[in-house]
Amino acid sequence: METISLLLHGFSISILPTNLLACAIGVLIGTLVGVLPGIDTISAIALLLPFSYSMDSTAALIMFAGIYYGSKYGGSTTAILMNVPGEASAVITCLDGYPMTQKGRGGAALTVAAVGSFIAGTIGVVGLTLFAPPLAQLALAFGPPEYFSIALVGLILLTKLTGTSMLKSSLMATLGVMLGTIGLDSLSGISRFSFGIDELDRGFNLSILAMGLFGIAEIFTVMTQSTPQPKVPSLHFKDLYPTKEEFQRSSLPILRGGFIGFLIGLLPGSSATIAGFTSYALEKRCSKKPAEFGYGAIEGVAGPEAANNSVVSATMIPLLTLGLPFCGGTAILLSGFMIHGILPGPTLITQHPDLFWGLITSMYIGNLMLLVINLPLIGVFVQLLKTPLNILMPLVVLLTITGAYSINNSIMDLMWITFFGIIGFFMRRTGFNPLPLLIGLVIGPELERGLIQGLIISNGSIYSLITRPLSSAILFLGAAILLYNTVPWFDKFTKDKKKVHP
Amino acid sequence: MQKKIVLSLALCFSLVSLMIGGCTYMQNKTAAAKTFPLKPITIIVPFSAGGGTDLIARALEKVAPKYLAQPLVVINKPGGTGTIGWNELASSNPDGYTLGITALDLIVQPLYGPTKYHYPTALEPLVQISNSTFIMVVDAKEPWQDVAAVINYSKEHPRELTFGHSGIGSTGHIVGEAFASTANISLRQVPFRGASEAATALLGKHIQIAFMAPASVKEHIKNGTLRALAVSSKQRLTDPALSHIPTFTEQGLDIALNNPNGVAAPKGLPPEVKAELGAAFKSIISDPEFKNMIEQLGGQIEYLDSKQSEAQWLDDSKKLTKIIEDTGILERIKEQKN
Repeated sequence: METISLLLHGFSISILPTNLLACAIGVLIGTLVGVLPGIDTISAIALLLPFSYSMDSTAALIMFAGIYYGSKYGGSTTAILMNVPGEASAVITCLDGYPMTQKGRGGAALTVAAVGSFIAGTIGVVGLTLFAPPLAQLALAFGPPEYFSIALVGLILLTKLTGTSMLKSSLMATLGVMLGTIGLDSLSGISRFSFGIDELDRGFNLSILAMGLFGIAEIFTVMTQSTPQPKVPSLHFKDLYPTKEEFQRSSLPILRGGFIGFLIGLLPGSSATIAGFTSYALEKRCSKKPAEFGYGAIEGVAGPEAANNSVVSATMIPLLTLGLPFCGGTAILLSGFMIHGILPGPTLITQHPDLFWGLITSMYIGNLMLLVINLPLIGVFVQLLKTPLNILMPLVVLLTITGAYSINNSIMDLMWITFFGIIGFFMRRTGFNPLPLLIGLVIGPELERGLIQGLIISNGSIYSLITRPLSSAILFLGAAILLYNTVPWFDKFTKDKKKVHP
Repeated sequence: MQKKIVLSLALCFSLVSLMIGGCTYMQNKTAAAKTFPLKPITIIVPFSAGGGTDLIARALEKVAPKYLAQPLVVINKPGGTGTIGWNELASSNPDGYTLGITALDLIVQPLYGPTKYHYPTALEPLVQISNSTFIMVVDAKEPWQDVAAVINYSKEHPRELTFGHSGIGSTGHIVGEAFASTANISLRQVPFRGASEAATALLGKHIQIAFMAPASVKEHIKNGTLRALAVSSKQRLTDPALSHIPTFTEQGLDIALNNPNGVAAPKGLPPEVKAELGAAFKSIISDPEFKNMIEQLGGQIEYLDSKQSEAQWLDDSKKLTKIIEDTGILERIKEQKN
């Protein structure tokens, strides 16, 4: 009951015209940041910080939060329509979103992504409203050994995400882990494999690799295709929206994605990307037609898009209740708080209740606004495909490169994005899918860090990974899933044997 | 048709005038340096957006237009514990339009191995803005009420306690090792990627001690979730929420390490530009709004002019060299680098 009255109080603040306007501006900018490939949330908010100096602190923070969660909505647009991820977390949406566009169901995919994002976003905010303090304590229970276990299980399970052979996937994942070791290692204080090049000290940025391997590589692929224009199928109104069957198929994935994303959002690191991957893997397993995945299965769009939106609310929990940012997006939000003279932490709810509840309720409103903004835009975006490719693609390159520069303000990054574009192009030609590489790049450093820190904490005893209850539970679960997966393989193996020797 | 011609003519005209405008602007810059600044000033932050150093730059950005007549533009060039950004600063044009924020790492990094910037010859400090400290914190549920209790416990249980910091060779690590060696105890150090991860591990009781900048732990100290045992600076903090924390020296340990931040420019600024900037930053720093923002972050304004800052750099360098040699951090890093 108390929560309801607090929520009502919050709505009375977030509904004030200035705050409503701030929210609308925030989600609009967020959508734009998401749609434009390359430009990432962190640099967008950093760029806009100076404009908020004269704003009221609540309004400013509502706006920044709007940009943050709004950007996850728009990320899927270019992924679905052009195979160019708008945000690193939307890479996974390329897998089934783009094949849907090629089949003429791009509009449907966009609608499902928008509706899924709305539903999952709302699930996330409800979770944030009801369970923030206990969930923050839960997140604290996970220490380095647990992160290691999660990373290990995740790496093993997620590598087999794409339809390509296990060998190729493992190869790519290993390559990703190797790339993840490049740069200044904060744990040991030395730079590894940087060959004395300062810029390599920074390590590889996930967004840069995602843009290169997927976005730029796709543009190269389009360039080399002899058919000048893939036929854009008819654009009747009814084609823009999913059929009843498509809606039915995506409803459960959206709910599952929403919950999974929320849980994964409590982990530090690139949780939005990992949540998308996990949801995709889960949907593939739950689906009755796993063979469709990779060729335009709507579940493969609905689940991950839902997951990467509910992540956002979960990442707000450690920020708002502990004052600790677990990912880059909330780190820049923390900056926004501090510039306006507010230090978030355990006392935020009691000391700034207006701000806290105003911000949370604005997220309900913002999610609704995003749905209202995005649904009509789908028609517009699909029309974009009518643009001749020789005009559209250079524009996409321009936007991607501009965005990539804004991440670290570094020219070197632009060379990398081109380099990985070429690599990605050849990977495709040779039947490799670069996705496991990204998984390796994201999870590899977590794995290493968790292991090193875990070993130091337990005074060098590797058994602590098994004796700590949470860590061992995770490892056990992972082992069980692995074992479960090998049963059919073993079955098949013995059957084959029987066939040979009847 | 007619319309189109008129339009394109107008376009041509405006482009040409833009070009001419650009030329006169260039002339202005060289001829009349007295009217500095004529365009926005870039300030390089060698860390990512959202960190403590970034926030100081943002506070400058917010207040600067009042005193500089031009906006300050913050650009983040993160990576290599600041070295990438400082390299860029050292190699930029000394015209006063590119400045950079400095931190203790500016002094620390060259001690571990050669950096491209050689700060005594390549950089010129304009002002020191603030002087912060490192706070030694433990979880509030732990029994230790002061530093002596931690030392006693650690003497009875050698190598049991762990302390967290934001990376080997980071300033937090240096303070931690200095504490251990001064107190003659043996602590295990756990490196994290950034202060907030170390704070998370401390709150989750995965480590027992951390040495943190005030901004990361202030709210937890106020709330009673973390207990502060000591500050590393010479004097106590003036912030009412943090002024109760005794210094290490008060508790009989000879540790005094500040965490200063300032603004520097590439060496070779025209003297009048330097004077202009020095005066402007002095008034920015004494602005009550700016002061308030820095204090919110748990920092303290401590103005030093260019000469004093330079002396401070060399002084800090000497002090840090001694600490990292005595504690074996240098040896450890050198060993890994080879």
